Amino acid sequence: MPVESPMLHAVAVGSVDDGKSTLIGRLLYETGHLNADEIAHVEEASRKRGRKFLDLALLTDGLRAEREQGITIDVAYRSFDAQGRRILLGDAPGHEQYTRNMVTAAAGADVAILLVDAKNGLTSQTRRHLAICAMLGVEDVIACVNKIDLVDYDEGRFTELADELIAASEAVDGPRITAIPLSALEGINITERSDKLGWYSGPTVLEVLHDLDRLIADEAFRMPVQWVTRHDEGGADVRALAGRITSGTVRVGDEVVALPGGKSATVSAIDVLGDARDVASAPLSVALHLATDIDVSRGDVMAPVADQPQVATRVKATVAWLDENPLSAPARLEVRQSARLVPAIVEELHERLDLDAMKHEQADALEANDLGIVTLLLAQPMVVQPYAVNREMGSMVLVDPGSNRTVGAVMVTEVLGS
Amino acid sequence: MSTLTELGTLDVLEAEAVHIIRECAAECERPVLLFSGGKDSIVLAHLATKAFAPAGLPFPLMHVDTGHNFPEVIEYRDWYVNEIDERLIVASVEESIATGRVQDETGPRASRNRLQTTTLLDAIAEHQFDACFGGARRDEERARAKERVFSHRDMFGQWDPRNQRPEPWSIYNTKLRKGEHFRVFPLSNWTEIDIWAYIQREGLRLPSIYFSHEREVFTRDGMLMAAADFVERLPGEDTFTETVRFRTVGDATCTACTLSTASTVEQVLVETRASDVSERGASRADDKTSEAAMEDRKRGGYF
Repeated sequence: MPVESPMLHAVAVGSVDDGKSTLIGRLLYETGHLNADEIAHVEEASRKRGRKFLDLALLTDGLRAEREQGITIDVAYRSFDAQGRRILLGDAPGHEQYTRNMVTAAAGADVAILLVDAKNGLTSQTRRHLAICAMLGVEDVIACVNKIDLVDYDEGRFTELADELIAASEAVDGPRITAIPLSALEGINITERSDKLGWYSGPTVLEVLHDLDRLIADEAFRMPVQWVTRHDEGGADVRALAGRITSGTVRVGDEVVALPGGKSATVSAIDVLGDARDVASAPLSVALHLATDIDVSRGDVMAPVADQPQVATRVKATVAWLDENPLSAPARLEVRQSARLVPAIVEELHERLDLDAMKHEQADALEANDLGIVTLLLAQPMVVQPYAVNREMGSMVLVDPGSNRTVGAVMVTEVLGS
Repeated sequence: MSTLTELGTLDVLEAEAVHIIRECAAECERPVLLFSGGKDSIVLAHLATKAFAPAGLPFPLMHVDTGHNFPEVIEYRDWYVNEIDERLIVASVEESIATGRVQDETGPRASRNRLQTTTLLDAIAEHQFDACFGGARRDEERARAKERVFSHRDMFGQWDPRNQRPEPWSIYNTKLRKGEHFRVFPLSNWTEIDIWAYIQREGLRLPSIYFSHEREVFTRDGMLMAAADFVERLPGEDTFTETVRFRTVGDATCTACTLSTASTVEQVLVETRASDVSERGASRADDKTSEAAMEDRKRGGYF
């Protein structure tokens, strides 16, 4: 039985100067999430920079370098309520050199707010962002055709861009597009409509965020074990498996298996942070008790005996390269997936994805912000599923054991076996 | 016994925070939970006890004590630690001053807020902590809105905001070199309202200064400051009695109170929802020094 998610994870993306920060400022301001002192701060900062208007962009520019250079460098997170629904909004920088930040912000997002300049139209970066959304499994995009005031609120221009956006998303097998004409500066169609766009009868940005169906899907039960708890109960040593259910539902009486080991047992009790339940589902953190003691340790994945994921040591995957030092194969790295860290070798770099030309090409190396297809060899068998089937079992990060830096984001496309 | 129920925002935030706490406890060798007796650290400590119950915490609590405290908060701190039966380490700024590690500021605007950084970093080195749980939230301040959940600190305790480790999905890179540490923020995605709503839901007790009471105060920079022996007042800063409460609890020299008659958690929630001023704007004199005050302090190793 699917459950409606109480939280929506959104990400705002766009090219430089599309007015993204202004839109976010507006959203917070018009939903009452900006306090008087924060507005006073923006007023003061606007004055210091010689702006003649309240520059809401300054609100999310949180770091000194960002304010000095007037650009966004790092992902900022803000929470607000869209008519009773909690939205966690990641603001991703639009500069090409920070595409890695877009990957960071959009990984796990339910919906992307994409800005397009009504006058300039779609850019190569718009297409790039749509392709990244498609790859990360972001299902919905609110395409904001901004600065509609600069094209005289023209319906024809909006329709033209909306069609282009839908076509661009279809070209990459991308997300569903809801296009909205708006002016972030004038505050049109963010939370309120305007007579200037009398021809538009669709929803505002806030309405889409509020209405978007986002069910916690009814996938197979998976729980990576984070911690095996032990305590003494009347002389008996009681063990429980603590972890967060990443997908699906588990019930008392279910036959579960610990992978990759393969030993199975019956769930005898489910402890949801002090509350005994007979059923629990994602995304809750729980402790599972088993009827028989089996060998389970941190990093194992609990799954139903009847619906087991694959265990493999070799996978094909899309990688977003995040580090300044380029990747070339073979490379010795480490893979971090939920509660596991294992050594890995990037055996082969098959191709680089040229998102601007929308084609694959041969490449000897991936530079920072590049996307490519690789084959990964894992030092130990791991539970893996294609990212499109199960996000948590199909996503990993690459860590450089020399620098300890997070150098890549990985989405498994194919499980090749052991 | 219950069946599958509707999930609320607090359920999701709680599950996320517990996931982060367990992850850090499993991956780091010597974590510590920074506990000030403030509402955020109380919620954090409560979540930590839930994460490992019925077993105890696999790490101690630590209070960085400036010596400029509200007595009600110290009383609460000692009561709470005894109540949950865990270990508390007190790192004392007064001791740092006595041993010459830092020099106390003097004059009417003297604050030990900055000095805490040295005491904290010294304590981290002394106990070889490799992770400090903190109750900071992204909604508090602009620099914090950009900080990762597992926030890396180098050997000098410095935060490098331009070089943060990407955190896609909920996968945390917990690798460290010797001498480095993490600041870990399980409450990153909570808001001030969430904290109060959770305190209400879980029936948590708080220090009394969070609720309306009569106090001798004086006005400075448009804010109401508590009169105390260790706060030197400027000419014209006369004291008077008001009905107030505190929205945050910090060093008494730089934490302001607000006029309020809210005396229960329910009333505080009503007041907070209607408030037009942010928590830090209402109570933190230390953030008013410059646009990047918090960023600069964090770069230097502050909480």
